[in-house]
Amino acid sequence: MLVPLSWLREFVPYQGTAQELGDRLTMLGLELEGITNPFAGLEPIVVGHVQQCGKHPEADKLSVCRVDVGNEVLDIVCGAPNVRQGLKVAVVKVGTTLPNGLTIKKATLRGAPSCGMICSEDELGLSDEHDGIMELPQHLTPGQPLLEALGLDTEVLDISITPNRGDCLSILGIARETALAFSLPLTLPEAKLVETDQPAADAVSIHIEAPELCPMYAARVLENAPSAKSPDWLRYRLHAAGVRAISNHVDVTNYIMLELGQPLHAFDLETVRGAAIHVRGADQDEKFTTLDNKTHTLNPADITIRDAERIVALGGVMGGLNSEITDKSSRVLLECARFNPSNIRRTARRLAQHSEASYRFERGVDQLNADYVLNRAASLMAELSGGTVRKGIVKAEPKPWQAPAITLRRQRAVDLLGVDMPTAFCESTLTTLGCRLQAGPAAQTANVACPEIWQVTPPSYRHDLACEADLIEELVRVYGVDNIPPVLPGIIKPLEDTGKPEPAHAFRTRIKHWACGLGLNEAVNYSFVSHKELDFLGQPAEGRISIMNPLSDEQNVLRTHLAAGLLQNLRTNIAQGANGVRLFEVATSFVAAPQTETTAQESTRLAVLLYGNRFDGAWPQTQAEHDYQDIKGIVEHLARHLHLPALSWKQETVAPWLAPGVGIYAGETCIGYAGRVKPALADAFHAKKPVWLAELFLDVLYTMHLTQRIRFAPMPTFPAVRRDITFMCPHGLEVGAVLACIQSQKLPLLADVKLIDLFEPKGGEERNLTFRLTFRHSEKTLQDAEVDKMRDMAVSRVCKELGVRV
Amino acid sequence: MNLIDQLNALVPAFEESLAKAHTLPQVEELQTAYLGRKGQLAGLMSRLPELTPQERPLFGKSANAVKERLQASMNARLATLNAAQEEAELARFDATLPGRAPWQGTLHPTTLVMEEICSVLTGLGFDVISGPEVETDFHCFEALNLPKDHPARDMQDTLYVTDSIVMRTHTSPMQVRAMLERKKPPLAVIAPGKVYRRDSDITHTPMFHQIEGLLVDKNVSLTHLRGILTAFVRQLFGKDMQVRFRPSFFPFTEPSIEVDISCILCGGKGHVGSTPCRVCKTTGWLEVLGCGMVDPAVFRAVGFDEECTGFAFGLGVERITMLKYGITDLRIFFENDLRFLSQFA
Ligand SMILES: [Zn+2]
Repeated sequence: MLVPLSWLREFVPYQGTAQELGDRLTMLGLELEGITNPFAGLEPIVVGHVQQCGKHPEADKLSVCRVDVGNEVLDIVCGAPNVRQGLKVAVVKVGTTLPNGLTIKKATLRGAPSCGMICSEDELGLSDEHDGIMELPQHLTPGQPLLEALGLDTEVLDISITPNRGDCLSILGIARETALAFSLPLTLPEAKLVETDQPAADAVSIHIEAPELCPMYAARVLENAPSAKSPDWLRYRLHAAGVRAISNHVDVTNYIMLELGQPLHAFDLETVRGAAIHVRGADQDEKFTTLDNKTHTLNPADITIRDAERIVALGGVMGGLNSEITDKSSRVLLECARFNPSNIRRTARRLAQHSEASYRFERGVDQLNADYVLNRAASLMAELSGGTVRKGIVKAEPKPWQAPAITLRRQRAVDLLGVDMPTAFCESTLTTLGCRLQAGPAAQTANVACPEIWQVTPPSYRHDLACEADLIEELVRVYGVDNIPPVLPGIIKPLEDTGKPEPAHAFRTRIKHWACGLGLNEAVNYSFVSHKELDFLGQPAEGRISIMNPLSDEQNVLRTHLAAGLLQNLRTNIAQGANGVRLFEVATSFVAAPQTETTAQESTRLAVLLYGNRFDGAWPQTQAEHDYQDIKGIVEHLARHLHLPALSWKQETVAPWLAPGVGIYAGETCIGYAGRVKPALADAFHAKKPVWLAELFLDVLYTMHLTQRIRFAPMPTFPAVRRDITFMCPHGLEVGAVLACIQSQKLPLLADVKLIDLFEPKGGEERNLTFRLTFRHSEKTLQDAEVDKMRDMAVSRVCKELGVRV
Repeated sequence: MNLIDQLNALVPAFEESLAKAHTLPQVEELQTAYLGRKGQLAGLMSRLPELTPQERPLFGKSANAVKERLQASMNARLATLNAAQEEAELARFDATLPGRAPWQGTLHPTTLVMEEICSVLTGLGFDVISGPEVETDFHCFEALNLPKDHPARDMQDTLYVTDSIVMRTHTSPMQVRAMLERKKPPLAVIAPGKVYRRDSDITHTPMFHQIEGLLVDKNVSLTHLRGILTAFVRQLFGKDMQVRFRPSFFPFTEPSIEVDISCILCGGKGHVGSTPCRVCKTTGWLEVLGCGMVDPAVFRAVGFDEECTGFAFGLGVERITMLKYGITDLRIFFENDLRFLSQFA
């Protein structure tokens, strides 16, 4: 909301600075966004008097003028058609730069010297008018600065108004708050209305057919009021308030809206057929063309203003092309109504027709102020156009304004705010805000004044005051919320809240710390990706959750997995020259679940991406690239960290972008998958080296982890005996198969078996796998002979079953 | 020279040679030459039969004395040489060689700040809760006193999944769920998480992080809200941090308050030296969070007694993170450039 300070001062005698006012209003909940000067740059412009004006001898269209600018008389060549002797004009002297960037220099135009420029409104940024120079009032003194001479609004406060404070979308509303803040009187401008004997009711009748859409509709009628250009003061004031001037009648409706907060609409009464106005919802699929020449298809929730035959306006949103004020209009029907805010909002949103008027109707206008608004607007219109105002206001009001009655308990305010709210303070504050107070019912029956409970009737412009809490907010707003002292409360918890398992959030945080400690870098990506990206990775279309109104096609679907985001990050980092990338992310993935409450199944995942060098430096680290065993080792490390049972790994189809893909299982439960991104896909992310990914289902891990307990096992007393055996295995025989074959024998003293070396002779058909078998007896030291016997049993079984050689 | 004199003459000869021996092998060589099985001492000892029986005990005694003396001299020399060698090794040691460190892991700065905030608040007695990111209109808006067609919905530009399902625009639906689940006070929870808005420019990203706090109990007042927030801000930014309350509007709180803290850059002075502060634009204050007393309409929607008292607050994590680390560009948070991430080790 733009508030010119000089306009505000017409309502309230505030003498302080704009900054001080803005600061006070901010602390009342009306936040100052800034202070601007809409006429910035016009300071050097002065009033000039054209003493002489003659034709340029060499150019028909130019005039040579002698212009008095107070302390000197300048020769100025002017090309405007309306320049003439005796005019008072706006002059810019040599050396000055105009708001449009033009710097005035001393010049010679076809032989005639010119020491300055006489300006048009366009050149000063005041309007688009560039057909001629400004013609200033005759009473101005040459040499006077233009800003001062015209009394322009050079200080404008930009105040942000929260949605609940529709009453502050006007100079009047801000003036009320200013009066409150500085204890100043509020004065409303007088509406000096002269009416003719002809009743307005003879010219038009009003019929509200849908009171729930429109509780009140009032109008005045002006006759012989030609449309014309508005006077400068009005046009410049609208300019200061950020509104473009159009013509007198339209400008007055805008002016009054900005001043009093009530949107108005002016119809050309000649176009209103049957001298009648009807208000009701549109018919289904009814067509209507608004004055911006757009045709809309309406429905019954759209409020229409109609004459005897057709729609003439979309109530509260926009007027019609068929009834708008034109240059030829001279009979004006001035509308002042209140519409249902929800309907206005729905219509404005659906048709994308947001306007200053709909904005105010959505937030609620003051039904009781309609007469004053109409009187002030009609008198101004009559004054500017020379027209007359018919007698009386034509009004239909099927639902008169009814203020809520709110019970306010002083003690409740004290309890909620934690500070004392003295009776006198409560009463004076609410009264100053325009509320009517009555001692509560308890007091009335006892026939004594009860200062502790009041029945409060808020003013008709404060639609936000609807319950006790709203009134308490008003009390503390005036008391000063910043005067509330801090008190640290003791938070008391019920005993049943104790002994609960680790919360999911704490678990996720712990996982992040584990990953960080392991040397991974945490990434955070948007939850949305593009359908295109998912298609590219081969993600099936079913199960995706689309965004209805995405900001862009890059963000039009929720991610079903975390790989897409990490691959984007990989591209970013490769572009920055990274040789090794080790990222992780803990985030939610989304899959459609139409039967659930939110239609989405959300699961938390941990994703790890490994790419390129295992270490970023060179020596002393060994140089090697990440491979499958790195990603697997990380997952195994996590499983041990969470005390999970040993994992099993199965090469299978897990995700369309991974080959090989490996399913990861804890017992029968799949806890996630890992694999290498297909080179063709990785290439699109500029990855020339293998990209390894793992995605783990954290919700599953969380549940499993909760059931795991650490149990101490006594340390073995007797030493273990180890035997290493190397098998020559054909390619395709998995290490896991050999391990399984040895373990399945359930040798009683075999404590552990693991692969300790792998050697692939070049060009061979085999690889050499060396396993270490660890034997231990819990009650004695084993003899070499018995260990060798068991080793031989294990070896011969493997050789026989798997067809390998030792 | 008799045998005993010869024996005694070994000592100065040996010591003279030792003094010239500068390496361990040289010392070992001397050891062999004098003390070895075929060394000079052994050679003299072997001539014992040449002596008379009366001379022998004296010779034996002298031989032992000489042997001990030679041993002692040699050990002393060895110690000196060892010490010199250790010293030489220490002199060659280079403490500035690079370490063989594992890769440096990092947490995202929003994680660091969220965790810090959560730990301050859990320390004050709040429990951490979680909730869905795709939400129903009811949990995200209706229950929070944001009916359909209400202008306050303009305050949060929403991303829709369907007409009645949205990407949560704030963390507040988690407090709705917590109250619905708990059914009655007391309740003290915080809800950190991602939130979504249809907004993208230099100061807005379509996804960001919030932390919601809710305390509902008997006799909770605005002074308590200020107490909790003051404690929280001091923990996060230091003891001298001032907190300012300003009236505002949120549909789900009444009264509603916007909280400012002293500007981190200029310390609330509005200027750094004589230059105007770019962070607070000379106001000396920075807006960090919104809060208020829970609106009775919210209690009504979740089936709590309307006479309950409680407060709620919600703060933007990225905003605090930017202030804390002096980050000036919001979009850098989600690019995951390692040059950015690696700074938060
Ligand atoms: Zn500052």
